[in-house]
Amino acid sequence: MRALCAIAWREYASMFRIPLGWVVVALFVCLSSFFFTKALTPGSPATLRDVFLTWWFLLMFLCPAVSMRLFSEELRSGTIETALTSPSGDAVLVIGKYLAAVLFLATMLVPTLVYVAVLGALSRPDYGPIVSGYSGLLLLGMLYLAVGTLASACTSSQTLAFLGTLFVLLLLDLVPGMIAPRLPEQIAKLAFEFSPSLRAADFYRGLIDTAHITFFLAASVWFLMLATVVLQSRRWR
Amino acid sequence: MIQVQRVSKWFGGQGSPGGGGGGIVAVDDVSFTIPAGQCVGVLGPNGAGKTTTIRMITGYLPPSAGAIRVNNLDTINDSIGARRTIGYLPESTPLYPEMRVRDYLFFRARLYGLARREAKAGVGAAIERCWLKDVAHRRVGQLSKGYKQRVGLAGTLVHSPPVLILDEPTSGLDPTQIRETRSLIKDLAENRTVLVSSHILPEIEATCDRVLIIARGRLRADGAPSALVRQVQHAFAHTVEVQTSPGGREKIHRALAGLPGVVGVQLSGDGSNEQWSRFVVTPTPEASDVREPIGITLAGMGVVCRELRRAEPTLEQVFMRVIESDERRAAAEARAAGGSAAA
Repeated sequence: MRALCAIAWREYASMFRIPLGWVVVALFVCLSSFFFTKALTPGSPATLRDVFLTWWFLLMFLCPAVSMRLFSEELRSGTIETALTSPSGDAVLVIGKYLAAVLFLATMLVPTLVYVAVLGALSRPDYGPIVSGYSGLLLLGMLYLAVGTLASACTSSQTLAFLGTLFVLLLLDLVPGMIAPRLPEQIAKLAFEFSPSLRAADFYRGLIDTAHITFFLAASVWFLMLATVVLQSRRWR
Repeated sequence: MIQVQRVSKWFGGQGSPGGGGGGIVAVDDVSFTIPAGQCVGVLGPNGAGKTTTIRMITGYLPPSAGAIRVNNLDTINDSIGARRTIGYLPESTPLYPEMRVRDYLFFRARLYGLARREAKAGVGAAIERCWLKDVAHRRVGQLSKGYKQRVGLAGTLVHSPPVLILDEPTSGLDPTQIRETRSLIKDLAENRTVLVSSHILPEIEATCDRVLIIARGRLRADGAPSALVRQVQHAFAHTVEVQTSPGGREKIHRALAGLPGVVGVQLSGDGSNEQWSRFVVTPTPEASDVREPIGITLAGMGVVCRELRRAEPTLEQVFMRVIESDERRAAAEARAAGGSAAA
């Protein structure tokens, strides 16, 4: 537990010791506020549903930027050798780093609570869908970061880790929508089942489905287990 | 205590003799035991298998064959337990440049499972031991290479491990930093088992009680530096500098060449100095030391001698002989393999 906390805290603090962390937060805050002000028009419903949909798109690019450094940097600099010869164990290393990335994501979402306050000041929003929307966004981000952790464990190049993560996320989220019209109905339905963003959309509407929660958590765990195996496989080569 | 029993490591397929998989054999059937409290140096040319051996001991790589035990803990079956007892500094001293020195050491202590209070005490002791007090609040990335090396060494000490494994700890340092690091390692070796890998021979000679020479993945020599040096059967040149009168140089040359056990005498330098002449006397390997007959002969001739010195055998010569014999063996094996393939 001590090692897990040490790894998570070191990684989280490191994100704010380098420009990348601040750039990612600044980008998210700027772009999210832009989309929020676009949605904030007189007469429109006091909800963040459409805003969450645009933030999902931002997360698709920003989560790979957060996760690309997790292992790639350690592999490049050689610090992975000290990490893997410590008694913490490979799985603890993966979970610790992943937790740091999730904590960073949560931190990145904190400034957006200002928008909720603005909405509350200007109208009477239903806070239920807002809370569930944030939960959906966090779950979606957790899955994206798990994919990114796996990609980062595969290569010492941060650029490759970023592109690899982005490729998998596009494959998961955009491809089903593009190819579904050409597929038989049953297969198209199955493809949509695997689309994280479509599942997250239910949360933005205020619908908390345990099946969706299970999907996000199980998929995240699955990618993290793969990342651990990839890390361990370095010893076998 | 470190026990390495018939350990081999091959990459890219079954590379063991008879395996026939075409893999690269990095370490081949290496065995040695390092008792508690001993400081051992691993020598070898680049690519000899030093780092691979060290990585197997630290648990970073599993051996393809054989077994390794550190403090009686198997590095495969009880890997986590074995790692707890090791302080490891990898080659090139990888650190986190964005962290402050104290924070980095505290992180290392926590990584090894130390409670907050123990970790703080461990960090304080490591900072003290490695003379890092002045830079404890600076970022690692801003430090000189020498200081970074010290931070790396301090990182291996925070959990007070009984075994220290240091891979090329002085690589890339300037002579002053090498001297500092060497003295630090010597200090640390006082109450620990230390395994140091290096290709800088004087460093090993000055620091270690015992030397292992690895070449082409095999252990070629094992012993105390002085014992290894004694094993060298070699004709070590003698330098003689004497006062010479005009025409006396030839006479001395003949007298020295006529001594039993001497195979060659050479006038050193261009001979422009008429008053003093320097000869290099080469004895036979059997005679080895001919200082006494030279001294007696010169005294008998009434010649003033101001220098009579026998070149001392060094670890470097031992190392070179081991490597040369290994290269000859490799060439012979290659010829034999080529011959059998042609047949």
